[in-house]
Amino acid sequence: MMDLKSNRTGVRGAHGQSADVDSQVETKEAEQMEAFMRRIEAGDKIESTDWMPLEYRLLLLRLIHMHGISEIMGAYPEKEWVPKAPTLARKLSLLAKVQDEVGHGQLLLRVAEDLAEPIGGNRDSLMTDVFTGKVKFHNVFHMDAPTWADAGIIGWLVDGAAIITQTALLDGSYAPYTRVLRRVCAEESFHMQHGESIILTLAEGTKTQRQMLQDALNRWWPSLLFFFGPKEISSPVEKMMKYKIRQRTNEELRQKFLNRYVPRIHAVGLTIPDSSLHRDADGLWHYQEPDWEYFSMMVRENVGPKSAERIHLRQAAHEGQAWARQVAL
Amino acid sequence: MEGVKEYGAYEVFVQRTHQDAHVHVGSLLASDVSMAILLARENFLRRDEAVSLWVVPRTAVASVGGEDVDFFAREFDRSYREVSGYADNALRWKEFKSRALSLDEVIEDVRKP
Repeated sequence: MMDLKSNRTGVRGAHGQSADVDSQVETKEAEQMEAFMRRIEAGDKIESTDWMPLEYRLLLLRLIHMHGISEIMGAYPEKEWVPKAPTLARKLSLLAKVQDEVGHGQLLLRVAEDLAEPIGGNRDSLMTDVFTGKVKFHNVFHMDAPTWADAGIIGWLVDGAAIITQTALLDGSYAPYTRVLRRVCAEESFHMQHGESIILTLAEGTKTQRQMLQDALNRWWPSLLFFFGPKEISSPVEKMMKYKIRQRTNEELRQKFLNRYVPRIHAVGLTIPDSSLHRDADGLWHYQEPDWEYFSMMVRENVGPKSAERIHLRQAAHEGQAWARQVAL
Repeated sequence: MEGVKEYGAYEVFVQRTHQDAHVHVGSLLASDVSMAILLARENFLRRDEAVSLWVVPRTAVASVGGEDVDFFAREFDRSYREVSGYADNALRWKEFKSRALSLDEVIEDVRKP
């Protein structure tokens, strides 16, 4: 590294010589990049210790960091319902779910750490980035969950949406992420069943319970559509597709969600709060678009209904437990 | 984190039954082995059953793999080491009005009282 630097600044010799070394370094990087892309195109899986371009590392780090922090922040709307869950059985399954989300966060942050290490990141910086707004988390976890039906909708539809986006990453090129995703998806399938169990009970219940469920769906619908991200293919998504980190666009995944869930939502007698929602002759769903700017700003600036409160709780927990992490050393 | 000591990565291996080998399931960050064991149970055994758990500091793992594909290269056909290399036996047994034996059949037969 030191040698490389001194060569580059031309300390060791005439300009001609330094330019030679420069071009040698560039040629080597170009060769590595070419070999890397050959591996990607051949469907090879990349491990954390393999050479990878900085762009690939940063794309993955951003994705996995956000995924990990979202899992942890995702525990907050649900934990609010643990003390208020209607039965002991519901309390136990919700507790298990909260524990799973935090566990997923830990597994994902471990993968992020290995990516961040060569560029100077560690667990502490990955955890504290959420306080300073350096890392974002999914829009759905900025929202309020005022009733028990919200807990059901979160499990049924938010986890349902999350499973779709996560299974779309299962065949990605970065092996350590796909290994963790397998475990995460397996556990999410329990969350999905758990959510369905809650909403089925409410759908089978009294008029008041069914209304509570309908109100919760009305609250969550636009957030659910936003969850998959903008329609247009952004430059990071395009790059992730080039590197085979992901292979489906946001809109493809949103369509899959609508395919799977619209009929089921209707089946339990709920009305989707979008009278324009329909499927055309080609099987493509048309829907009223969520307020992109409202939700983007929420994620970008942490200005959702519950953003500040939950980030504050997270920070208080992180800082309040600092002594315990220190004592363990 | 202040202080000289740091949290380190531990690799986690789980043995599901006594007849299985330990399988690598992932890694975690811990201050020492006892914390690593505790966190491994929380992270990897919330549902899965197991009879044994190993945690190994990552620094203790020597490995080969990744880009070093030559190490795993098969320089020549090794089918003579495999069952599939003798697939023609089935046809040949047929000529003798009999059939090839498989290991599964033998195991099943031996297990039968």
